Amino acid sequence: MSQDNEKLLIDVGSTYFKLSTPDSIEQHFRDFNKDILDDLLQKSGSTIERFNKDDVHICSSANGGLSTLIIGLTNSFSLKYATNIAFNSGINIIDTLLYQNIAEYSVPGDLIDVVIIVGGIDSHSNIFGQDLYNYLEQLNYSNIVFVGSEKDANSVAANIDNLAVLPNVIDNRLHIVEEHLKEYLTNLYQQDIMGKEDIKNLYQITSNQIFSTPYVVNQALPHIDASYSVVNPFILLDIGGATTDIHYSKDLVDDNIVTENEFDRLVFKKLGVYKSKQSLIYAAQNNEFTYELLTHLKVTENIFDEQSDKATKVLMQLAIFLVLCKISHYRKAYINLKLLAINSIIITGGITKVLSVEEIENIIAFFYRKILTSDHKPVTILDSNYDIWTLGAKEIKHVD
Amino acid sequence: MKVVTGVVGNDIHVVANRLMELSLNARGYEVFNLGVNTHLEEFFDAVVETGANILLISSLNGEAEGWSREVKALKSKYKNLDDLIMMIGGNLAVGRGDAEEIERKYKNYGFDLVCHQIDLNTGLDWLEEFIEKRKTQ
Ligand code: B12
Repeated sequence: MSQDNEKLLIDVGSTYFKLSTPDSIEQHFRDFNKDILDDLLQKSGSTIERFNKDDVHICSSANGGLSTLIIGLTNSFSLKYATNIAFNSGINIIDTLLYQNIAEYSVPGDLIDVVIIVGGIDSHSNIFGQDLYNYLEQLNYSNIVFVGSEKDANSVAANIDNLAVLPNVIDNRLHIVEEHLKEYLTNLYQQDIMGKEDIKNLYQITSNQIFSTPYVVNQALPHIDASYSVVNPFILLDIGGATTDIHYSKDLVDDNIVTENEFDRLVFKKLGVYKSKQSLIYAAQNNEFTYELLTHLKVTENIFDEQSDKATKVLMQLAIFLVLCKISHYRKAYINLKLLAINSIIITGGITKVLSVEEIENIIAFFYRKILTSDHKPVTILDSNYDIWTLGAKEIKHVD
Repeated sequence: MKVVTGVVGNDIHVVANRLMELSLNARGYEVFNLGVNTHLEEFFDAVVETGANILLISSLNGEAEGWSREVKALKSKYKNLDDLIMMIGGNLAVGRGDAEEIERKYKNYGFDLVCHQIDLNTGLDWLEEFIEKRKTQ
């Protein structure tokens, strides 16, 4: 492990970047008028200069990652399985559509990075037809992949240009098969990161592969309980500037998805405290408990219009509350977690620089009391030195 | 023919379910067994994913009626299930119950074949007769 001491780890987020050396952690807000590399060199040039290119490891979640739209046959199987795989590959889900109702959905205007078509076991056929092709004609997308019934693959491929066809994600016993789609999406994400001009420039300071941040965090999870006073099962909340990532122990879901992963990931795309601040406020205003929570924090709704440290704190506290709400009620998210079984909640990301353990525990206790009418009190752990990310980056380096 | 089967709701009585899978296999059906503790929506979703022709639900612990009341409303949300053969069996009422009355009620809930406390093999014979009859119609 001694050689780890000579490494520089850099994480480029959508709002700020951070650098970790054996003896320090630096964090800076990004200047969006500048190229990432210039910005980094200006703010942390002296740190970066101290390291060889071989010893610099970079990961990025800038731009929020890739987006996907999933078209599938049912909520319990195809859509659920593809959703699970997409989240675990670090991809954000714009929407999921039930194929039988495809003609009734409006077509998203944004460019979709990858469309996933899924449904049917291999012996089922004639599932997809003209409705699908009509919809896709109106949709703006960069990649498209078919992971449904083998028997339908040829006819679908004949009707869609540049369709990637992979083995079915549903086997003949209706169980999930993850690896092919996961590998495809992870590679796509990787290519996307490397294709971005800004990111490409970063290869001037590293000779190692640049990974996506969710991938790095995922690598750390199985080792967290060794490095912290974490008790399984746990959830990890990474509340960032643009999105919120939740990583959770599989023990917390009671589900028909049986995989070998110990941990799964879930993302809320428009829940963040800087770039996604407006949609966070919107979500808060539509939550019936928000006013009570604001009163509990001894502030009023006017705080949303304020630009102060206090306002940022409140926003972050709200973000924690809203995330917990989203995973608490059946079918709000595609999965709901057994929140009363959680023993530890780990909080990471920029939020740890702003809120204290007490401020976070206050919100978590409020959540359990109001929403779950329980006095359950998971242990809250603040990852304020980015130990998790450092752990993940080290894990990846060992794999290299 | 493809059959989706399982035990509905919070019911964990597993013995009949295992026997059901064996018997169906022996009779040449392609079986998709969702096991105990299966939600109504999962049954229909499994039918859609597999392209099954028959849905065979078991209920042993007394929950049958509560779930069956929701069958029609849920099924109507699916667009391609009109030809699905719907069958239910096990203990469909608490206690012995009046078999005729029970059958009438469950047919109303949307089942084609109702097997209250009927032996498995008798029930599967009824299924075969039903399929034959349908073919000739
Ligand atoms: C073993 C058993 C249990 C075990 C189950 C273990 C397990 N994991 O399987 C345990 C102890 C856990 C249990 C729990 C309960 N049980 Co219990 N249990 C039984 C018992 C004694 C035997 C069931 C069995 O395995 N039989 C053998 C199999 C082969 O027979 P079968 O289940 O009757 O199925 C046959 C037919 O019904 C038919 N069949 C089944 N499905 C279908 C479908 C079709 C289409 C067709 C044609 C035929 C068919 O095929 C089978 C063979 O012919 C029965 C009483 C009895 N003697 O039947 C009660 C019984 C089923 N249990 C009952 C109850 C009430 C409960 C509990 C609610 C008790 C409680 N208060 O906690 C809980 C419920 C738990 C839950 N969440 O489901 C009641 C149900 C009453 C009702 N429906 O009116 C019964 C009938 C006892 C009674 N007389 O009161 N139980």
